[in-house]
Amino acid sequence: MTMKTLLPATMLLAAALGATPARAATEISLFRFFGGCSDEYANVTDLSKAVGECGIIQVLANKFNAENKDGIVVKTQSVEWGVYYDRLSANVAGRTPPDIAVMHRSVLPNYQVRGLVEPLGKHFATVGVDVADFVPVAREGVSANGEIWALPFDLHSLLWHVNADLFVKAGLVDEKGQPKLPGSPEELLRHAETMKARTGKAYLAIPSQADPMPTWQYLSWVWQQGGNIVDAEKREALLESKESREALRLLNVLYAAGHANRKHDYTAAQQAFLSGEAAVLINGTWGVDVYAAQARNPNSALKNYVVRDMPNLYGKEAVWSDSHIWVLPKQSKPDAAKLKAALTFLKFLNDHNFHWARTGHLPVRASVLASAEMRALPHRSEYTRTATIATGLPPIQYQRALMDLLINELNSTWLINKPQDKALANSQRAASSILRRSRRR
Amino acid sequence: MNRTFGDRLILVLVIGAAFVWMMPMLWVLSLSLRPNEELVRSTAGILPWPKTLEHFATLLRVSLTPRWLLNSVIVAFGMTALTLLLSSLAGYAFARIDFPGRRAVFLLVMAGLMIPEQAILVPLHAMLADWEMHNTYFSLIAPRLAGPMGVFLMTQFFKAVPRELEEAAELDNASRLKIFWSVMLPLSRPALTTLGIFTFLFAWNDFLWPVVTATQPEMYTLSVGLGSLQGNFAMSEGLGFLMASAVFASAPMVILYVVFQRYIVQGITLTSGK
Amino acid sequence: MTVTSVQDAGSRPHGLARYRDALSGYAFLAPFLAFYAVFLLYPFGLGLWMSLHDWEIVGDYREFIGLLNYQELWDDPYFWEALKRTLQFAAITAPAATVLGLVLALALNGPLRLHGALRAVFFASNIFSVTVVTLVWSMVLNPDRGLIANGMRAVGLEPIAFLADQDWAMPALVVTTLWWVAGFPMALFLAGLQQIPPEVYEAARLDNASRWAVLRRITLPALARTTLLVVVLQTVMHLQVFGQPLLMTRGGPANSTRPLVQLIYETSFRDWRSGYASTVSVVLFVMMFCVALLQFRLSRQEGD
Repeated sequence: MTMKTLLPATMLLAAALGATPARAATEISLFRFFGGCSDEYANVTDLSKAVGECGIIQVLANKFNAENKDGIVVKTQSVEWGVYYDRLSANVAGRTPPDIAVMHRSVLPNYQVRGLVEPLGKHFATVGVDVADFVPVAREGVSANGEIWALPFDLHSLLWHVNADLFVKAGLVDEKGQPKLPGSPEELLRHAETMKARTGKAYLAIPSQADPMPTWQYLSWVWQQGGNIVDAEKREALLESKESREALRLLNVLYAAGHANRKHDYTAAQQAFLSGEAAVLINGTWGVDVYAAQARNPNSALKNYVVRDMPNLYGKEAVWSDSHIWVLPKQSKPDAAKLKAALTFLKFLNDHNFHWARTGHLPVRASVLASAEMRALPHRSEYTRTATIATGLPPIQYQRALMDLLINELNSTWLINKPQDKALANSQRAASSILRRSRRR
Repeated sequence: MNRTFGDRLILVLVIGAAFVWMMPMLWVLSLSLRPNEELVRSTAGILPWPKTLEHFATLLRVSLTPRWLLNSVIVAFGMTALTLLLSSLAGYAFARIDFPGRRAVFLLVMAGLMIPEQAILVPLHAMLADWEMHNTYFSLIAPRLAGPMGVFLMTQFFKAVPRELEEAAELDNASRLKIFWSVMLPLSRPALTTLGIFTFLFAWNDFLWPVVTATQPEMYTLSVGLGSLQGNFAMSEGLGFLMASAVFASAPMVILYVVFQRYIVQGITLTSGK
Repeated sequence: MTVTSVQDAGSRPHGLARYRDALSGYAFLAPFLAFYAVFLLYPFGLGLWMSLHDWEIVGDYREFIGLLNYQELWDDPYFWEALKRTLQFAAITAPAATVLGLVLALALNGPLRLHGALRAVFFASNIFSVTVVTLVWSMVLNPDRGLIANGMRAVGLEPIAFLADQDWAMPALVVTTLWWVAGFPMALFLAGLQQIPPEVYEAARLDNASRWAVLRRITLPALARTTLLVVVLQTVMHLQVFGQPLLMTRGGPANSTRPLVQLIYETSFRDWRSGYASTVSVVLFVMMFCVALLQFRLSRQEGD
């Protein structure tokens, strides 16, 4: 064991046991998902070495800790994605919120209407985060009541990750020899049949076991038909609408015909795509960087990786999207030093927005979006429309509960063959009881 | 069928069953001793070969596990000591002091046996949140001191102690506290041991309440910490490490079990109300 | 309230002594009663009060809504599903643990050191925390690298993803739980067996009664009280199941293993609907209260 790894380890232990570090530091806690890779990237501060969401955010934190001049120490607590919001709300409910937390834009209303997060507009002006540089959709996402409530970090959405070789083999190509994607549900099914007949491979790979992915695809299809899951006032659920029925029907037809394997979880679906067993992987922008790296590996079964915007099957362009944003939860005992430290870190994150966009997410700063280094990133030219067709959930207060129940109910239609009408009826009923509180408020 | 043959056959079957029973633990123990690179290839077999202690080293060095161990020790000992104290005081009062309202208070306390911890989980959380007391040793220990089981056991025990032993002291005009402390408590060693062991086991393995009140990793107990590692299965520092944590977390219990097995079994007989 | 009803009040003290007794009685009780009132009685009452509100765990939104939560509960398919799963789990696990405990106790009620060692083995899994047990069994049942999967591959079978499979998840949780808890009923039965007078067996031996006859006519009837105790303890315990599904299946696949306690936990801490969660808690309380009453009635009848 070298001194180099031993030292931080001992420090960590000392810090954990409550010993006072030698330097008078302002320690702030950072609560996030994105996975844990503190071992893999221990002491790495070189951003070019970091790959993927976890790597990049970890190295950003490392770099900040190593380089900031104010003696600020950001202590990361990474929580597994599946239980992240449970943990976050438990901490907020227990009146021990972290200093900084990552959040989805869709979840922000829950916290914002209850006054649980700091308004940031004034602070941003102080530390020099230029709100005007945020692209409009990102700025609107974190605005409410004329205030800014969070630092937007990215715009992410669903993409179709494509194995171009399989499309060529199946003859599903346009005149330029590029993969040809469907323009209607019927065409999607025809293509899928062709794929199966000519290559013996599945058309789609979708993480389908207890995963939100099919639900995001479902939402995209609902919106493409001009429908929505709640009414304009966000008071009534519309889960039994004809758009909703159609979107769920299409998913189930695909599973039933074997065009997607209902038994795939996230890893398995990804594996099927990477090993050339499926032509299209439905996954988010966060995968681009990783799959591009995989495809460069000469041993990879996936050789010709391309990315496509969500195909429009129903007429109106739309794709599910969300944003990662950073919030400062309101503290019961405000601490000016910690607040300042947290803002300094947010500024740092904002300054490095480009690096985060390397994951495949779209940057939120107009200046970064237009930059040359951005355009030089692989595959970015292949999904330029996504930024314009990105559609977010309407700002519903009880978005978590609503999404969880929807995911559960939709999944049960292909996992346990629950009748689709019944699943939607159950969802509608449960959603109404959740939205009831919105109606009262 | 020959009787001894039958006995032997049963014995052989049970020995076989015992091996199957132990298999998961032995296997996990062996996984915790194998290098991760080896585990990626195969997890088959029970013999840890090649073996390594790296996971335990990592665990002690870089993880929060030692801190969780410390928390568990504080919580378990704190809860045990306080439960013994409160229960024996109250048990003595119920069994030996004739005060007005005794029966009513006793019934009121015993009614608490009917309230499961899950039924008060949510309000308890709300209450401690109002006090801003979550993520403290207080919140991990205090709610667990309210359970009436210990009082019940100690009351039963003190009732069975012959009165003569006390009367001698009473004649000496010793105070209640003195009688309790120097006569009754020494007599109740076996009962206290049993109650102590069970409280300790309970405290060590407690999960539902700690998982709700301890939301910051520094305040996790081993049980909660291990649960959080499990949630992070995919992203954990590798299988061997995970298994080592399980072994590490259960080691104190295994030692306790080996040392106190007799008392534990006696204690069970006691709880069966015989 | 009179004190005379307390049987061992023996010599009644008077005057000053009586006053002193009252004082010291409550002084001895005070520390426990304080905790009891603050951490058990008060939360219980608060829970009932909360169940009549829209009450959020985060923030300070509370609104009195009368019995609306109870009305919603009645119409809530998730509640009924969780109730069904809880009852199902308890109905399988409690009898299975009882039978397993009984069989083990009968087989291991011997004088040899070996018997003692084997008893120790079967009891040992009882001392682990739920997180250790679920970690071990998640691994054992893992379809990629699990112990069972390894075994199945060795004999040429396709491994099963037990915890992700609708048909296997519940049985897998039951098996895990049995491994965890069966030692306890075994110990209770062993204690029960110790109390059967040896003379009874001696007489049976002289009668040359068969093993089966002895078991059926002597041993089992003598264990009736213990059995009742075991069944009740196990039922109460498994109605409260929480850690195993939370950590092993998260209630899935497709809600098929989500018990009531997990529903309470998630409704309150994930969905922030603490009022509604309290309503579910009240139902759980009533259920367990009924089991306890049933035991009371049964043991009374038997005692008569």
